[in-house]
Amino acid sequence: MSMLPIISNFQGDFVLQLVAVDSENTMDQVAAAAAHHSVGRRVAPQPDKVIRVRRQDAQAFFPQDARIGDLGVQPMECLEFIFTDAA
Amino acid sequence: MAILERSKWYDLARATNWTPRYVAESELFPETMSGSLGVERSKWEAYDEPYKTSYPEYVRIQREKDAAAYSVKAALERTKLLENAAPGWLSILKAHYGAIALGEYAAMSAEARMTRFGPAPGMRNMATFGMLDENRHAQLQLYFPHEHCKSDRQFDWAHKAYHSNEWAAIAARHTFDDLFLARDAISIAIMLTFAFETGFTNMQFLGLSADAAEVGDYTFSSLISSIQTDESRHAQIGGPALQVLLANGHKEEAQKRVYMGIARAWRIFGVLTGPAMDYYTPLSHRKQSFKEFMQEWIVGQFERSLIDLGLDLPWYWDKMIEEFDYQHHAYHLGVWFWRPTVWWNPAAGVSPDERDWLEEKYPGWNDTFGKCWDVITENVLKGNIDATKPETLPIVCNMSQLPICAVPGNGWNVRDYPLVHEGRTYHFNSEIDRWIFQQDPSRYRDHMTVVDRFLAGMIQPPDLSGALKYMNLAPGEMGDDADNYAWAEAWRNIAATRRAA
Repeated sequence: MSMLPIISNFQGDFVLQLVAVDSENTMDQVAAAAAHHSVGRRVAPQPDKVIRVRRQDAQAFFPQDARIGDLGVQPMECLEFIFTDAA
Repeated sequence: MAILERSKWYDLARATNWTPRYVAESELFPETMSGSLGVERSKWEAYDEPYKTSYPEYVRIQREKDAAAYSVKAALERTKLLENAAPGWLSILKAHYGAIALGEYAAMSAEARMTRFGPAPGMRNMATFGMLDENRHAQLQLYFPHEHCKSDRQFDWAHKAYHSNEWAAIAARHTFDDLFLARDAISIAIMLTFAFETGFTNMQFLGLSADAAEVGDYTFSSLISSIQTDESRHAQIGGPALQVLLANGHKEEAQKRVYMGIARAWRIFGVLTGPAMDYYTPLSHRKQSFKEFMQEWIVGQFERSLIDLGLDLPWYWDKMIEEFDYQHHAYHLGVWFWRPTVWWNPAAGVSPDERDWLEEKYPGWNDTFGKCWDVITENVLKGNIDATKPETLPIVCNMSQLPICAVPGNGWNVRDYPLVHEGRTYHFNSEIDRWIFQQDPSRYRDHMTVVDRFLAGMIQPPDLSGALKYMNLAPGEMGDDADNYAWAEAWRNIAATRRAA
């Protein structure tokens, strides 16, 4: 369990932001942490959507229940947070 | 006794190259200070400055300029600028004085380096006057706003901004150190006087002076036009230096300096001048959008200067022109949202009428930047001001030291441009910023952005309050909305009218 700073690139927002997460956090928890700094501040909420996370330039999203510490995400790696249709 | 005309003696008097006998040429003009790229000194004698003046002429004209600027200031001292000017205009003044005034001293040092180490006699002559110019500019721009210190703490803070760890001050220092304070004489001639001054400050000061007159701030208008006349003279130091380098087979090295200079200058103008023109200046006083201004002066005029000298346009030219559409909008949104971290009060500039103007000048603005401002406006109208303020730091570019940002909303194109160098990952705003770093990684690699410092534990406590403490900003000094959110009330009225209809 350790602090992991990541870069949030949130869909619809204008700026990259620093977000601190825990290596034990699931990707849903990571998404919620990033959303805290964008949604309702400069990005309109989309309650019917799910926020998924992927690496910059990747197509595939990380599994929602995977722990970030197990995925090889590097400190200060830029991750994209995307609104998607609920499964 | 009759006095000889200047043209009869000037060329002889400025021919001050000599052959040293007691030291080697390389000791008198070390390459690290001179930067003549191996071009022999005899070749530099072909350097021909387009603007020629003598010391007595210089002193007489400068005395007249100073007398004019100070007399306008004295005459208007009792006008109540602080009470009468639009809040956005005062913000322009505070940002300008804080970011620029002490940078003029850095420019003075740079001119002094050309005065001592410039390989061409004409360059040394011109730079002597340039050095005196920059000293005058620093003193004017410290003295003129000083009268406001007693009634506005932000004007007071602007005087020390350049010495602080405030992020915009770091960005200004990093840029100015790179372009001219920490360069050799020839690089300064190219990067400061040609790229920065010919390309940007000259036209910027013309525009700023006209804007000041338009809003009725005649003191600032006369101050800025007084400075601009100096700039237009000493900005001509770089052109002939480029001609000598090109004539002696150094086009590539010369161009590289031009490209780096333009790219860095563009970022600083994007964050300072862009918001000033498109958001802070009251709508009724706007003559041109920032984009129109850039297209006229940079694309229309500076591009011709590059081509006339025989230089190729920078590889990133089209990309930079594309950025005219959005980069300064993104910087403005960032400065406004992180407003507690600046020493001026950003004017949001997004009332209904102002948004109509933005949409007209930048088609698609409402669908992109407008989407973020919609959320902000709604929060303001609900009284949820906390949601319009940050709880974390933006990621800062390892080159510009400005937030990494681009187009939001339905045109979302924000991304990181990372680079791994010697095991450290750097983050950039664009491929242009990354390219600058790659030209000389050892020059830039050890610098830490505000975010790097935060992660290294240098900012305590590790939150926004710690960051404000680190930047030395206290309540009353840190920025807030310039118009106390009056712009949002206009939206409430519109919503009420629509409901009634």
